[in-house]
Amino acid sequence: MIGSAAEIALQIGSGVRSAASVLAATQSLIQARNPALNCFTATTFERAQREAAAIDELRSKGRPLPPLAGVPYAVKNLFDVEGMTTLAGAKINAANAPAIADATIVARMSRAGAVLLGALNMEELAYGFLTENHHYGTTRNPRDPERGAGGSSGGSAAAVGAGMLPITLGSDTSGSIRVPASLCGVFGLKPTYGRLSRGGTYPFVNSLDHVGPFANDVLGLALAYDAMQGPDPRDPACAQRAIEPTVAALALTGGIRIGILGGWFNEWADPAARRAVQSAAAALGATQWTELKSAEVARAAAYVITAAEGGALHRPRLRTQYEEFGPSSRARLAAGSLIPASWVVQAQRVRRHAYREALDLFGRFDLLIAAAAPAVAPRIGQETLLINGRSIPTKAGLGVLTQPISCIGLPVCTVPVWPGEGDTAAERALPVGVQLIGAPWREDLCLAAARTLEQAGIAQIRLR
Amino acid sequence: MTEADDNPLESYVRAALSLQGYAFDDAQIAEIVLQFSRLEAIAKTLSEWPLPFAAEAAPVFRP
Repeated sequence: MIGSAAEIALQIGSGVRSAASVLAATQSLIQARNPALNCFTATTFERAQREAAAIDELRSKGRPLPPLAGVPYAVKNLFDVEGMTTLAGAKINAANAPAIADATIVARMSRAGAVLLGALNMEELAYGFLTENHHYGTTRNPRDPERGAGGSSGGSAAAVGAGMLPITLGSDTSGSIRVPASLCGVFGLKPTYGRLSRGGTYPFVNSLDHVGPFANDVLGLALAYDAMQGPDPRDPACAQRAIEPTVAALALTGGIRIGILGGWFNEWADPAARRAVQSAAAALGATQWTELKSAEVARAAAYVITAAEGGALHRPRLRTQYEEFGPSSRARLAAGSLIPASWVVQAQRVRRHAYREALDLFGRFDLLIAAAAPAVAPRIGQETLLINGRSIPTKAGLGVLTQPISCIGLPVCTVPVWPGEGDTAAERALPVGVQLIGAPWREDLCLAAARTLEQAGIAQIRLR
Repeated sequence: MTEADDNPLESYVRAALSLQGYAFDDAQIAEIVLQFSRLEAIAKTLSEWPLPFAAEAAPVFRP
């Protein structure tokens, strides 16, 4: 089993292990575990050897090591990696020229000493909450390979959940970090919209796209997040904010006012998801329920904006290469490209309204909590979810609790909770994520609460 | 009179596809009509949500 990012960096820094030996062990884990799960679409072992050797050379010369020295990681295949074609899960991109430079946050991870192992599978063009990719195969859930890993960053979550890597990177337009983190039982951070640069990433919905890390513990999330912060002229939406380190803030305990989101977030959480929220609330001392009344329409706004922007982005190739898109994407994208402007404008008005309502809630609470998915991981190919007697299509329904939050750009740390609820022993062994939702730019509070839950033994990664 | 004439949503999709320069066969159009009908159902919840006339949009969202 691979250790945490902090443990690995400490071992390399103290000379207990070399970066080369960590790399060799990680390669062995990937070779042993990936074939059953299909997390990777490409490996970058040669680059990893160069990066690990550079870390070992620094240490041999007695130079200070960067914070993620020798820590292995991999990225969703929509991040540019120099010399590789950026697929974004789509066959239509396979013949594109290789990237001439790393994505901004990949370059920042390298600068922090991390060692890149490869590119990870995802839902085609990031459009969906499963990773049942028509072209590159299904990514399976490391807890139960008969179940899905979630998506669209399914490879990123499953690689951490399977113990192959301590850190991976993904993207989240409507829940694509939080849903797979929930289903695979790992930690994930979707920062405030604009907090981390999307420079050098393949876009989907520019006004909603976020990027962020997955990790096998909270400190790993914070270390990666801190390493990736900072303005970037490559991304016009990237905030002009100074780096606000979060690692030191993890020790913050007590005094955080927490509201438990009811209404929409309770209605669309099944008994296991509700139990997960209750466990987290109890451990954080949260007793007050509250409501984001515009949650349903914020979700609808996210849905419409996503379809319209995604459809418009891909319209030129939908016209000429329709059959090269996957069957589950092409008709949805084409339909999105036909949306009337009045729907989009109304969605943007609702978005502003929902944002203001959330800001009002943050006058009373520092954090809000809710389940990250309505249920545990569905079986691969399962068409519908049954949530409290109501049926909803799996592909869209898995995001029902995440879409209202990313629509308004709030930072969220998702933590894996193990409710032990379900009709079968297999279901009772599966996790549900809990969203710790902060006011804009308060990733520090999201991570501090996550750390509290981790230390209380409520939120933790479990390897099979 | 065609089937599409009886179905305003399908008529809209066919006209919009044509205006946008798409050329699809009937089976492909049927798939798109189905997806557009799902979008339309979701969009209805937005149009029915009461907002003041002067409510501001968030076309470039910066929290």
